[in-house]
Amino acid sequence: MMMMEGVALKFPPLKLFNPNFPTSPATTVTPSLARFALRSFSSSSSSCSASLPISATAGKEADSALGTLSLGHLTRPDFPILHQEVNGSKLVYLDNAATSQKPHQVLKALQSYYAGYNSNVHRGIHYLSAKATDQYELARKKVADFINAEESQEIVFTRNATEAINLVAYSWGISNLKPGDEVLLTVAEHHSAIVPWQLVAQRTGAVLRFVDLDENEVPEVEKLRESISRKTKLVVVHHVSNVLASFLPIKHIARWVHDVGGKILVDACQSVPHIVVDVQELDADFLVASSHKMCGPTGIGFLYAKSDILSAMPPFLGGGEMISDVFLDHSTYADPPSRFEAGTPAIGEAIGLGAAIDYLQGIGMQKIHDYETELANYLYESLSTIPNVRIYGPRPSEKVKRAALCSFNVEDVHPTDLATLLDQQHGVAIRSGHHCAQPLHRYLGVNASARASLHFYNTKDDVDDFINALSETVSFLNSFK
Amino acid sequence: MSSSVSSSFRLLTTRIPVPLSSTKSLFSSSSFKPTLSSPFLISKSISFQRIETRNQSRSPTSISASSSTSLQPVEELPPKLQEIVKLFQSVQEPKAKYEQLLFYGKNLKPLDAQFKTKLNKVEGCVSQVWVRAYLDNDRNVSFEADSDSVLTKGLAALLVLGLSGRPVEEVLRVSPDFAVLLGLQQSLTPSRNNGFLNMLKLMQKKALELYVEAEKGVLESAQSSEGGSVHNELQSSKLESNGDASSSNSTVVGSSSVGEGLVSKKDVKASEFPGLGSRGTRIKEKLEKELDPVELDVEDVSYQHAGHAGVRGSDGETHFNLKVVSKEFEGKSLVKRHRLIYGLLQEELQSGLHALSIVAKTPAEVGAT
Repeated sequence: MMMMEGVALKFPPLKLFNPNFPTSPATTVTPSLARFALRSFSSSSSSCSASLPISATAGKEADSALGTLSLGHLTRPDFPILHQEVNGSKLVYLDNAATSQKPHQVLKALQSYYAGYNSNVHRGIHYLSAKATDQYELARKKVADFINAEESQEIVFTRNATEAINLVAYSWGISNLKPGDEVLLTVAEHHSAIVPWQLVAQRTGAVLRFVDLDENEVPEVEKLRESISRKTKLVVVHHVSNVLASFLPIKHIARWVHDVGGKILVDACQSVPHIVVDVQELDADFLVASSHKMCGPTGIGFLYAKSDILSAMPPFLGGGEMISDVFLDHSTYADPPSRFEAGTPAIGEAIGLGAAIDYLQGIGMQKIHDYETELANYLYESLSTIPNVRIYGPRPSEKVKRAALCSFNVEDVHPTDLATLLDQQHGVAIRSGHHCAQPLHRYLGVNASARASLHFYNTKDDVDDFINALSETVSFLNSFK
Repeated sequence: MSSSVSSSFRLLTTRIPVPLSSTKSLFSSSSFKPTLSSPFLISKSISFQRIETRNQSRSPTSISASSSTSLQPVEELPPKLQEIVKLFQSVQEPKAKYEQLLFYGKNLKPLDAQFKTKLNKVEGCVSQVWVRAYLDNDRNVSFEADSDSVLTKGLAALLVLGLSGRPVEEVLRVSPDFAVLLGLQQSLTPSRNNGFLNMLKLMQKKALELYVEAEKGVLESAQSSEGGSVHNELQSSKLESNGDASSSNSTVVGSSSVGEGLVSKKDVKASEFPGLGSRGTRIKEKLEKELDPVELDVEDVSYQHAGHAGVRGSDGETHFNLKVVSKEFEGKSLVKRHRLIYGLLQEELQSGLHALSIVAKTPAEVGAT
C-alpha cells in the first residue's frame, strides 16, 4: 500500500501542489492525486503535519497564500454528492450530525458486492457465499480494530445505534434490572438513549435519573459522580453531544461506575466518526454507533460489548442465524455475536461500512480530529459574529474542546425560518428542530434550534458561505419586523 | 376505414375509458376540444394533440404533489384565495415571493392568547401554529391564526384570508394542491413536518365540526318549537372534505315527545322531497333509478317507533312505509319483490335503517295502464 512512501518523504509533500493552482479542488485535484496525498499524509505524522498548516484564521486567503490545501479540499473530490446545485445555488452541506456523505470508495464497495458476490452468509457452501461470508466477517474485524476491541466477536451488527441500544435494554436490561435499581443519564441524551430505558424501566421497576447541565451548558460531571451509588446499575451517556458539541470524560465516568459494580453504555454516534475511540482505553462495557454517520451506508450499525457481558445476555430478536438447534418446543442459541444477529443481515451494507472504515483509516482519525478542531473553532468564532446569536454548549478554549457543530438561535427569529430560507435562497443545508433532544431543549427553554454540523470534507469556505448566507437571511427577516 | 377509426379512437381516448358506442357523447361533452374537424376523420397520420381538459389548462411550475391526479382548477377555489394565487403567480422572483408571503404574515391579526390552546394547535409542526375557527351570522366560517415562525405565519395568513367568510362546503372542497401554484416550493408530502398541509387540514376539520354543531343546535330548537318530531340525518355526506370525514355523522336522537302522529313537513336542510330527510331522499332516488316505478311513495314513519330499543342512538330515519308500483315486479313473487327492494337498500339497512313496510305491485295489479 505505501510503496511510494520513500519517494513521498523525499520532498515536502505539498510542493506537489502548485501554489498557483486555483483553490477549488473539485476541478483541479483529481481523486488519484488526492489519494496519493492522503497516503503520504497518513504515513509519518510529524513532517506532514508540520507542512500542513491549517490556520484558524481566514480560510481561502491563507490556504492559497501558503499553497496548502486543507483536508476538506483534499477529500471533497471523493464525495460525488457534494458537487451539485440545489435551488439554483451550490450545495453547502452542513447537516453531518444527522447523516454523513459517502465517498465513492464506499459506493464502489456496495456496487462490487451486489454485482460480484452477493450471497447469503454463514450457511452457504458455494464460492459466492464463501466470499460474501469472508467479506462480511472481515468487515466485523475492521470495526473491531477501528475501536480497538479485543476481539471481533465483541462486535454485534445491528441496523443502527438505536437498535443497538434497544438490544442492550431488552436483553441485558430486562434480565438485570430490579425494582429500585437506578439508570443514570443526562438531560442532553438523544431520544434513542432515553426512550428504550423508559420502556424497560416501566417493565422492571427500575428508576431513571437525569443529570442537569452546569453553567457552561455541559452535563455537570461532579453531580454525575455524586449521583453514582450502589443502586446505580447502568450509566448511559453520550461521548460527544449532538447539540452542545461537548465531550464527556468517559474514562473517568467508567471508573466511577465500575467502582460501585455498575456498567456504562457509551453513545458514540458523534465521536466514532470524528475522533479516535478506543474502547479498551475507555473501559466501556457497551458502546454503540451508526454507520451512516461515519461515511458508511444506512441500515447498519453496531454494538460493542465486552465478551463476558455478551455471553451472559439472552437473545433479543429470535429467528434464523441466532440459533444452534431448533425443536418444536424449545431452541438453543448460538454464541455471541451470532446470538444477537437474527435473520439475514445487511451484508452489503456491512461490507460498505468496512470500506468506510478503510477510507477513514486511510486519512487517519487523529488527522481528522485535528482538522475538525480547527473547523470547530472557526465555525464557533464566525457564528459568534452574527448579532443576537446564542450558541448552545461550552465556549471553546484551551481546556474545553468542542466538536465541529453549533446549535444556535438568533433572537426573535425562528430557526425554521432560517433553515428554510438558507436552503431556498442559498443552497445551505442545516437542520432546525429539536435534533432528537426534546428534554434538552426544554431544559434550555427553547422549542427548537438551528444546527450546522461539519465533517472532514467541509472547508472553511463552507463556513464562510454559511455565515454570509445566514447574515443575509437574518437581515431579510429582520427587515419585516 | 372503420377499423382504423376504432383503433385510432382507442389511442386517443386511452385516458378516458369511454365505450365506443357513445362516441357521440364524447364529442358533445364540453370537457375537451376535439382536435378533429369531424368525428370520424382519422385517416391522416396519427398526431397526438394533447386533449385539453379543464384541469390541464393551468400547468404549475413545479409539482411536488405526491398525488398523480391533476390539480384542482383554480376557479373552484374561494374567490379571495384565487386572487392570492394569481398575485403570487404574477411575482416571478423567489425572493420577492417570500417578501410577499412575509408581508401577509406581518399583517395577520395576532391571535388572542386565550385561543392558543392545545385543541387549536396544529400538531406535528416544527414551529408552533394555532388556528381558531368560528361561524359568523350567515353561518360562513371564519378563521384566525398565529405562529412563532414568520414563514408559517405567512402561509397561515394566506389561508386565513383566502378561506374566511366562506361557506363551509367551499372550504372543505379546497385541495392543498393550490399551494404548488404559489411557486413557493411548498411540499405537499403529508408528514408531521408539513405545517402548511396540517394547518389546512385542521382548518377544514374545525369548519366541519362547527357546521355539525350548528346543525345540531338548529335541530334541537326546531324540535322544541314543533311539538312533533323532526328526523333529519345531517347531510354531512355532502360535506366530506378531502379524505377526512372523521366527524361527519352526528348522533341526533329522534324525538323528544311523540306528537299526534304527524311527520313534520319541515326540514332543516331543504331537500328535494319535502317531508323526507336525507335517507328518505336516498331511498326514493334509488328506487326511482333502479325500478323506474309508475308510482312511488316513501313515507318516513320513524316517529312512530321513536323511543323503543332498536331506535335509540340512531339518527332518526329508521322506519319507512314504501309503496312501489313497477314493471320490474312482473313475474316475481311477493317475497322476491321484497327481496329486490331490500337488496337495493342494503347500504341504508346497514347504516341505521331499521325496517321497511313495503307494498310492491305491478302496474297491472293496480289497474293502471
